[in-house]
Amino acid sequence: MSGAARHAPVTAGARAASKLGRLFWLVPLLLLPVPLFLDQYQQYVANLVLVYVPVGVGFNVVVGNLGLLAFSNVAFFGIGAYTSGILMLKLGLPWWATVFPAGVMGGIAGSAASVPALRGVRLFYLAIMTLAFGELMRWVYIRWEPLTGGSFGMAVPTPSAFGWSLDAESHKFYAFLVLATAVIALTNRLLRSRFGRAFMAIRGNEEAAAAMGIPTDRYILLGFAWGGFAVGIAGSMYAALVGHLSPPSFDLSELILEFAIVMVGGLGSLLGSVVGAIVLTAAPEFFRDFPGFEELVFGVLIVAVILFLPRGLASLLARAHPALRDRYYRE
Amino acid sequence: MLALLPQLIVSGIATGMLYALVALSMTVGYRATTVVNFGHGDLVMIGGYACFVLGVNLGLPFAPAFSIAAALLFAIGFLIQRLLMQPIIAGPHLSLAMMALAVGYAFRGAARLEWGNDILKLPHPYPTATFFVGGVVFTMDDLVISGFVLLLLLVLFLLFNATPIGKVIQAVFQSQRGAALVGINVRAFHGVMWGAGAALGAAGGVLLALIVPLTPDIGVWTLVRGFAAMTLGGFGSLPGAVIGGMILGIAEKVLGFYVSTVFIDITAYLVTILVLLIRPKGLFGQQATIRI
Repeated sequence: MSGAARHAPVTAGARAASKLGRLFWLVPLLLLPVPLFLDQYQQYVANLVLVYVPVGVGFNVVVGNLGLLAFSNVAFFGIGAYTSGILMLKLGLPWWATVFPAGVMGGIAGSAASVPALRGVRLFYLAIMTLAFGELMRWVYIRWEPLTGGSFGMAVPTPSAFGWSLDAESHKFYAFLVLATAVIALTNRLLRSRFGRAFMAIRGNEEAAAAMGIPTDRYILLGFAWGGFAVGIAGSMYAALVGHLSPPSFDLSELILEFAIVMVGGLGSLLGSVVGAIVLTAAPEFFRDFPGFEELVFGVLIVAVILFLPRGLASLLARAHPALRDRYYRE
Repeated sequence: MLALLPQLIVSGIATGMLYALVALSMTVGYRATTVVNFGHGDLVMIGGYACFVLGVNLGLPFAPAFSIAAALLFAIGFLIQRLLMQPIIAGPHLSLAMMALAVGYAFRGAARLEWGNDILKLPHPYPTATFFVGGVVFTMDDLVISGFVLLLLLVLFLLFNATPIGKVIQAVFQSQRGAALVGINVRAFHGVMWGAGAALGAAGGVLLALIVPLTPDIGVWTLVRGFAAMTLGGFGSLPGAVIGGMILGIAEKVLGFYVSTVFIDITAYLVTILVLLIRPKGLFGQQATIRI
C-alpha cells in the first residue's frame, strides 16, 4: 500500500483513506461475535454472504477493473466447488487442504478463459464465447459422472479445518471470514499496485496503454487468473457450505446473480463487490416460494441500476464520504 | 449405420432452419445497431407465449394470432430499444450487454410466474403429414419451417440489398454519425429495427412452439443456438445466418447419433468457441472481429 501512496496524488481524501486503510482490519474483528446473535438459518445466510464476497471481488477484477465482457465467472465458481468436492470425496483430503487447489484450478480456468481475449476477441464476441464456455462446463459436470456424480450431484463430506470439524454453521463462519478477508486484502493490494493501475489503463484505452509500453496481454492474463483464483476459492467455500453440488447450481441464473452483485454494488469497486454480496445474496432466499419472482425482481433491479445508478451502491457511499471515494471507489 | 445419414441430414436441416430463423432475427437487430441483443432468446420465448395466449386462450384463428403476436413483439422490441438501450448507447458495452440480458431475465421470470412449469404446445394450423422420399421421412413441419425461413431470407436479402431501406441500413451500420449527417433519423431507425428483429424472433418462437413444448427456459436454449449459427455464418451476414443454422442443425444430429448423445446439447457451445478462436469472422462475415 505504501507503494501506491507514493504515486497517488496526496489529497485530503487520500490521507483520510490511508487512515481508513488501517481500520480495514477492524471490520473482520468486529464481525467475530456475529454468530452469537444468529440462529442456525440466519447463520447459513451470513455464510452465504461470505461466499459471495470473493465471487463479487474476483468477477469485478475482470469486468469492472479490466473492463472485459467475460461471462465465464460461473465456470470458475463451479470448477472451484467441484475441485474441492472431488478432492474431499475421492482423495479423502480435509476441506482446508482443498481450498488452495480449488483456487488454483479456478485460476487455471481463468487463464484459459483469457485466451480468446489475448487473441483479440473483444466486446460481444468475447461475451458470447465466455458464455458458451460457462455453459459447456455445466455439461462437463453433468456428463463426467464418475467424478462429479452427474445430474444427481455429489454429496460433499463434512468440511474440516486443521483437525477441527466445521459441522456447525458458526464454525464455517470463522473459516469463511478468514478466507473472504484474505481475498479482499490481497485484491486490494493488487489493485493498488502497478498491476491495478495497468488494469485501469487497459480499461480506459487498451491501445494507448500498449503504446505506453504496458504489456497488456500479460496484465489481461493476470487479471483473469486472479479473478478465477478468487472465485475458485469462493467455489470451495460454497462446496463446504451447502454440502451438495449439482449442475443446476451453476447455470445462467447463477451468472445473473453474480452479475447483479457486481453491477448493483458498483463496477470496478472493491467495496462495491462486498456491498453487492451483502445486499443480494440473501435476496433469493426470500423468493424461494415464488418461482419466477426472483428472476423478475433481479431483472428489473439490474435494469434500474444501469439506468439510474450506473456506478452502483458504492457510488452512493463514496458520495457520503470522500475517504471511501479515494480508497475504494475508482472512476 | 450409414443408411441413416440422409435422414439425419434432413432432420438436421429442418431443426437448423429454426436456428437460422432465430439467427436471422438477431442479425436484423445487429445489422441496424451493431449491438447484440443478449435478451433475444427471451423475446422469442415471449413471442411463442403471445401466440399461444391469443390462439388458444382467446380462441383466435392462427393467422391473426400470429400477426398480433408479431406486432406485439415489434412494439416490445421498439420500446426496449428506445427506453432502455438508447439512454445508455454511448456507455460501456458491458452495460448494453447486461441491460439486454437483464430485460430478458425479467421476461423469463414473468413467464415463469404466469405459466410456471406448465408445458404448453401450440396446435398445428395445418394438417400434420409425413412424406417418404426414397426412404427419408419429411414431416409437414419440416417443409413449413424451411419454406418460411427461405422465403424470409429472400425478402430480407432483397430488402437489405436492393431497396433504399437497405442503403439506410448499410449507412447506419457503417457510420452512425455519417448516417445522421446525411439526414437519417438514426434513433428512430434503431428502434424500428429492434422491433423488426423482435417481431421476426416472435415468428421463430411461434414456429418453435409448434414442434417443441413451450417453457420459460426455451429462450436460453434458442439464444445459444442463434449465437452459434450467427457466429458460424459470420456476424451480420443474412445468408451466413441461414447456412450457419443449417450446418449447426446437421452437426447436432450427426454427431449426436454417431459419436455421443451429449453432442446434441454441446455442439452449439463448441461451434461458438471454436469459430471465434479459429476464424472469428465466420464463413461469410463482412468485417473481422474487432481486434486490437
